[in-house]
Amino acid sequence: MAPEQKRWQECIELKVPSRFSYIPSIQAFIEQLVQQIGFCQTRLQDIKLITDEICSNAIEHGSETAASGIELICTLDTSRLEILVRDKGKRGQGDWLTGGRLDEVTRDRAPHHERGHGIYIVRRLSDYLEIHPNSQGGTDVRVVFHRSPSTPS
Amino acid sequence: MAQESMTTRESADVKIVDVNEDLGSYVAADLRKTLDDLASQKTQKIVVNLSQIQHINSTAIGALVGTAKKLRQKDGDLKVYGLADNIRRTFDLVGASSVIESYNSESSALAAF
Repeated sequence: MAPEQKRWQECIELKVPSRFSYIPSIQAFIEQLVQQIGFCQTRLQDIKLITDEICSNAIEHGSETAASGIELICTLDTSRLEILVRDKGKRGQGDWLTGGRLDEVTRDRAPHHERGHGIYIVRRLSDYLEIHPNSQGGTDVRVVFHRSPSTPS
Repeated sequence: MAQESMTTRESADVKIVDVNEDLGSYVAADLRKTLDDLASQKTQKIVVNLSQIQHINSTAIGALVGTAKKLRQKDGDLKVYGLADNIRRTFDLVGASSVIESYNSESSALAAF
């Protein structure tokens, strides 16, 4: 019997000040990671957009000040990329997309509305989305992207 | 010298906003301010040139939709042109294509008023 092959997996953690101006740098970093595991261009654009949406929410709704910071934990292996974005919450507001707020945002979204499209985009373009409160009083948003078997490596 | 993220010019009674940087959250705030400033003046007609960019997020789309609604209340409108495939896909995904008219060229966007 052949020895069991250990599955390749790497985990990268970033801590970034809660400023919108850092999002392009985060996207550039994610782009490099995604290229390593060979996602197609369309998927790459989806992942960059989702990264923008999740980080924006964490900064706007889940950060008291720029110094609060957001955390990104990216886990990649040969077949998928997982991105976890963690914020610390805002005083008095806590986690921003749980306790019915997510349902409310989803229910109220409409093409002619100005807000609510971000989380809809994340839900539609990712393969898996999970949102839950974290121990720091903020919100964890976890998205997973699977590499299609037909995607050239 | 760094290029401005967007610039505004005029063609007859239409204000044309040229967006020069991808519309992520950072630049989307500039777009919202630019459009709010124009819409709060006498401007009724706005065309937004998206031909130089490859990325747009939900905040920027929200700013476009919100401004179009404001302008329609005073018998004006906002139109966009030059959408890259990726941007058109995002527009379609959130349904903005059904709210905002888009055109291939500036001349066709201007002629549509």
